[in-house]
Amino acid sequence: MKRALVYVDRYAVTDSLGLLAVVARMYGIDSCETFAVHVGSSCDEFYGSVDHLLLVEDGLIAPYDAAGISGIIAELHDRYAFEAILIPATPFGRMLAPRIAARLHTGLVADVTEIRRDNGEIRLVRPAFSGRMVAAIASSGHGPVMLSVRPNAFVYTPGIHRKTEVTPIASLTVQTSPDRRPSLRLVERRGKAVTRDIRESDVLVSGGGGVMRSFDRLELLAMELHGMVAASRRVIDSGKAPRHIQVGQSGKTVSPRLYIALGISGSIQHVAGIRNAEFIISVNSDRRAPICALSDIVVEGDAREFITRMVERIRRGTTGADHAHH
Amino acid sequence: MKILCLVKLVPDVENFRYDFEKNVLVRENVHQVLNPEDATALTAALAVREEFPGIRIETVTMAPRSAIAHLEDLVRRGVDRATLISDPLFVGSDTYGTSRILSRYIETQSYDAIFTGTHSLDGGTAHVPAQIAQMLDLPQMSQIVEIDGDSFGNGFAVIDVDSEDAVCTFEIDLPAVLSFAYSTKRKLPYISYENLHQEVRDRVHIVTNEALGFERHEVGLDGSLTRVTGVEIQTFARKDTLFVLPDDEGIEQVYAFLVRKGFIRL
Repeated sequence: MKRALVYVDRYAVTDSLGLLAVVARMYGIDSCETFAVHVGSSCDEFYGSVDHLLLVEDGLIAPYDAAGISGIIAELHDRYAFEAILIPATPFGRMLAPRIAARLHTGLVADVTEIRRDNGEIRLVRPAFSGRMVAAIASSGHGPVMLSVRPNAFVYTPGIHRKTEVTPIASLTVQTSPDRRPSLRLVERRGKAVTRDIRESDVLVSGGGGVMRSFDRLELLAMELHGMVAASRRVIDSGKAPRHIQVGQSGKTVSPRLYIALGISGSIQHVAGIRNAEFIISVNSDRRAPICALSDIVVEGDAREFITRMVERIRRGTTGADHAHH
Repeated sequence: MKILCLVKLVPDVENFRYDFEKNVLVRENVHQVLNPEDATALTAALAVREEFPGIRIETVTMAPRSAIAHLEDLVRRGVDRATLISDPLFVGSDTYGTSRILSRYIETQSYDAIFTGTHSLDGGTAHVPAQIAQMLDLPQMSQIVEIDGDSFGNGFAVIDVDSEDAVCTFEIDLPAVLSFAYSTKRKLPYISYENLHQEVRDRVHIVTNEALGFERHEVGLDGSLTRVTGVEIQTFARKDTLFVLPDDEGIEQVYAFLVRKGFIRL
């Protein structure tokens, strides 16, 4: 039976679970023995979802030590001979995966968003040119198939219950020798104020270059629709909004039910991040802006005016319909 | 002391236009630019040199020879030496092959740190910095937003790394691969007027496979471990779009849509 290993990023457990959906797409649900490796003493989310849970005990290695962890995974591969190794393309995953691939002398496909099959061969599909194109890639090399997977591109839905066997990894590897002075040392961690993740919101009110000067007002509309504010790269780069609300190829892939795009022209870079939005309403002064062709409704006009009037209309509720036709 | 800066030229994808009507990518007149995050890294290196004037800065670029003009401009902006790794054998190398080629050159150099961007604008895999670190057995960190060079003399650097939920400060032993995040605050200096036509050819240094000694099957397409089987333009489902104005009628139509789809509960 084929074996596949998924890496659990402790800061992105849901995205790590999503890797199991990718394994199922690659090999089918029943024809693969699944392994998850986690640096930490427990990982409840994976119980019942994988056949083997390999736990690298706390204190053995720093969770940010990509060089050391890549060594552990290489040794696990020596022991279990995986057919595939999957890593979430989180900031840490993106440092870890290339190291493992280099150690195993195997090809690595980054940021996979789709799995295809071509005459029985697996094709890993990833965006290229800032999301303007997609490339299908086949891996060769002697090692396992290695891929990093774009967060939020695959969603895991628990299927068959698996009897999870837990294997602690205590002293498997030379990488964890206590005498080794780590070359990377965490001095301080300053947590940011906890905010909800825009990927979890059903409604996103998103602003681009066209609303940069009144970006604060987006919150008004977002509040009325119980949604969150997001932004295009131009707004982020100008410093008007924090990086974690950026939508697009270099930001987040979102899949809200409703995406309201205000003053966003819809560069491919941006559109790549909203492909899975169910409904799109865009407000733009240029009806030829690329995003218009993808929208259910285009409001041709000033985004600031739209916000004001829309907020007013929602607050008026049902009774407002009468007034509107004067 | 010496800082190696890995910098790459990329197509200016920001200025690619996409024709949604015809579903084609308009690629005319797209020119090459310095990868923005690499420019941030190089600017950080120049700032470190401000503090420690003894530091030498060398850029390392793998590209066709047409890149020479760009590299000459980097010298005019203050780089001490620009190395171009260029050989017909290397064309078509994937990230693994590229990392091997760059690593083999870097091995021949003495250096204290390797600066680079976290991602490139074209491929965007972020593989090369981490793979070079692995091949050279160095520590590496991505998404660096600040660097404090004060401790360089003591063999380590203090860096700030920005992630979704925190900013972390690390000490990292040198030499190390330091990958920077894009920052609008760090901009490469302009070329001063008197340096505009400065003769700098002798500071652009070309390295071919004669110096690196790869076998044909090790590099280029033959040496790659991944193979692109197809490339297609990203397509998007077009919709029957309703166009309205932000007037009473338009707002009412949007409102009705939001009610119908359940986004506003009456």
